Amino acid sequence: MGLFTELKDSISRVTDRLFSEQEPKRIGIYGPPNAGKTTLANRIARDWTGDAIGTESHIPHETRRARRKENVEIERNGKSVTIDIVDTPGVTTKVDYEEFTDEMDEDDAIRRSREATEGVAEAMHWLREDVDGVIYVLDSAEDPITQVNTMLIGIIESRDLPVLIFANKIDLEDSSVKRIEDAFPQHKTIPLSAKEGENMDEVYESIAEYFG
Amino acid sequence: MPHECTNCGRTFPDGSKEMLSGCPDCGGNKFQFSPTRSAPTETAPSSDPSTSEDPRTEVETDDPPTAGETVSGGASTDRVDDSSASRRDDSESSESVREWVRRKADENDRRVDTSDFAEWPDSARRPEDRTSGDGESDPDRSTTRAKMADDEDSAQANARTSVVSDGLPTGTVEGTSRATQTDDDARAVDSGGAAPTEPDPAAADGDDAPPEHGRVVSEPSGDRPSIDELRAELNEQFESIKIVRPGEYELNLMELYNREEYIISLQEDGRYVIDVPDSWRESDS
Repeated sequence: MGLFTELKDSISRVTDRLFSEQEPKRIGIYGPPNAGKTTLANRIARDWTGDAIGTESHIPHETRRARRKENVEIERNGKSVTIDIVDTPGVTTKVDYEEFTDEMDEDDAIRRSREATEGVAEAMHWLREDVDGVIYVLDSAEDPITQVNTMLIGIIESRDLPVLIFANKIDLEDSSVKRIEDAFPQHKTIPLSAKEGENMDEVYESIAEYFG
Repeated sequence: MPHECTNCGRTFPDGSKEMLSGCPDCGGNKFQFSPTRSAPTETAPSSDPSTSEDPRTEVETDDPPTAGETVSGGASTDRVDDSSASRRDDSESSESVREWVRRKADENDRRVDTSDFAEWPDSARRPEDRTSGDGESDPDRSTTRAKMADDEDSAQANARTSVVSDGLPTGTVEGTSRATQTDDDARAVDSGGAAPTEPDPAAADGDDAPPEHGRVVSEPSGDRPSIDELRAELNEQFESIKIVRPGEYELNLMELYNREEYIISLQEDGRYVIDVPDSWRESDS
């Protein structure tokens, strides 16, 4: 009987979640390392709540634990959406501490590498269990067609999650938004510079429209 | 006894389900994995010089999750998965890190073109796709792969024998229809044995897998490069995080995504901590 009650509770929890207007959608910010995910998360959080989410760094894998900012209310054109933002560790298929040894000593680099690997596992776990929509952040100065990007976007598509692709770092000289649009023509691509705050109006409009 | 509780020292056989809910003696949830202590006599590769590497650097972090995944399945399939993983560990140690990384890179390159996200990794590449093996043009690599194929054969054959003895008396590949993973394995082995373009598993069966031995793979030879592709696929299926060396890791994103358990703490030298979330949830409902 206890089992049955539990089951019933769990079903009603699921249906509550499906039909509740109030429940904030949990939006995962995904992408490869150093695409500017935390910079974006911080900008969104600062713009709408005044707080930051995490530390930004030019060294890859600064974010090694998923961080969440809850109840971020974004208003655009009279439309309001409340979301939980999850800033996730950069997803990659290889982590090598030697990538960091210029910046820190070997022990720290190894630890960073190990934590980054755990972070990827955690990010993938979140993707499976806990997100209702995805903002996929790419460095528009880099080639978007990589194994990680293709695979992750494929996973997101297979789950039918709403996804926006953010072509970040348009302030860089090598930036090419078109390259990203061509790589993933099936999704809406929004150019922005999270660091410089460029085109954030369109960013928020899109978030309100897609995840509202 | 490859799994050992790091707290009280209790050991568990490979694939043990006991440890999924923590050590029954002390409740600890840290285990270390030492493949060398698990029935090493069954596989040829133990004579390979490269096994002098510390086997713990080769340790897979996902064996307990593998067992966890099969908990809700049938009993016979559990043992199949476990034994496959165990044999693979043994054969794994005969491959140098460099070879592994290179092969992995090859595999990754191909996968970008061929993967189908809705199905993968359930679907290994289809047999007709395997004709695009990349090892043939490079004599050095062919040699290497022939050696690797040798290792693979004994590991695979042992695993396959387990399949047969556990489940079905016929010993035919078709008889092993069980979880999709082994189905894919079986198909892959078949196509490796037959002409690479042959998509029909049954066609190769008679040639390569004498039913009385319950073995799918016969003697290895250099002209069957798809064996190492098969091996790579097997690795892909079982492995989520590969510790190349302390501080260097290879991650299988699909595996990480697909499994319910996830690794919450990764330590060197074969130690790991896994989260075991609601392992019994499915069977309860």
